[in-house]
Amino acid sequence: MQRNTMRELDIINEIRGKVVSRREHTGTKLFLVFGYITLFMFMAEFLALELWNTNLCTWLWLCILIVGMPLMGYHVRKDFNRTGRRTPDEYLALQLWLFVGGASAMCGLTTGFAGVYEQCYCLIQGLLLGMGCFLTGAISSFRTMVVCGIIGALLSFACLFFQGVLWPWQLLIMALVTIITLVIPGHACRRYINKEKI
Amino acid sequence: MSSFKFAVINPLLHNELRLKIMVALDSLESANFMYLCEITDATRGNLSVQITTLKDAGYLEVSKSGSGPTARSVCRITRKGHEALLAYEQGLRRLFTERVPEVETKKDCI
Repeated sequence: MQRNTMRELDIINEIRGKVVSRREHTGTKLFLVFGYITLFMFMAEFLALELWNTNLCTWLWLCILIVGMPLMGYHVRKDFNRTGRRTPDEYLALQLWLFVGGASAMCGLTTGFAGVYEQCYCLIQGLLLGMGCFLTGAISSFRTMVVCGIIGALLSFACLFFQGVLWPWQLLIMALVTIITLVIPGHACRRYINKEKI
Repeated sequence: MSSFKFAVINPLLHNELRLKIMVALDSLESANFMYLCEITDATRGNLSVQITTLKDAGYLEVSKSGSGPTARSVCRITRKGHEALLAYEQGLRRLFTERVPEVETKKDCI
């Protein structure tokens, strides 16, 4: 009986070890996809405002959702089909970024219709991105992401110094926040994975 | 022998393949059929039967996406399954730790 007990416990340990050793990191593509789309949109919005000075350009952020969401769904499904499993960490990070995306969209719509887009949209967006990056880093124990999240959130407060006619400069700060919270962590994570594979 | 508590051993989990499936799914949020096939080194037919047994017991949730030959089954452990596995593992460990002093005592006597 004792030998049998030992065997069952061995099976439990063996399978747990197998699951952990076969872990593959996924989700870095999402950081890069959303990072570059958001960066491009903020730059385009800034240029459009500088060239044509029309408030219609402020709705360009909707393109982040229109382009990003289908790409996100595609990559999530592709990663799941390739690896065949989803870890609790990945699930949690996915839910977190869905929340950040939803909150950003709500923030964009509310501030746009309330006419306070210039005052607070960039600040809230920056804080949300910083929070998302920080929490993802905390969940996956990736220090670069944690540091980038904190820097991004702190940097977004710089938007408060550009009000009134200077407000388009907030978009440039947001472009910088996007680089810090999405592009740099995405590339850092990719580099880490490639190193691990070697 | 009388000190053993056989009641703690869940007969449904006291099967190598079913135990492997449960442990793998307990460490993950979800996994598809092919991944389970690979990790448990089981044949498709055998795995399918054991998954159905666990599903009928309410230990697993199986969702199917797509249809025809490209259909994919995604398995998830339920709360009931997680609790059953936890109780099973604790029971095994208790049996193991309770038995060791007895053996040592016998050795000492010899």
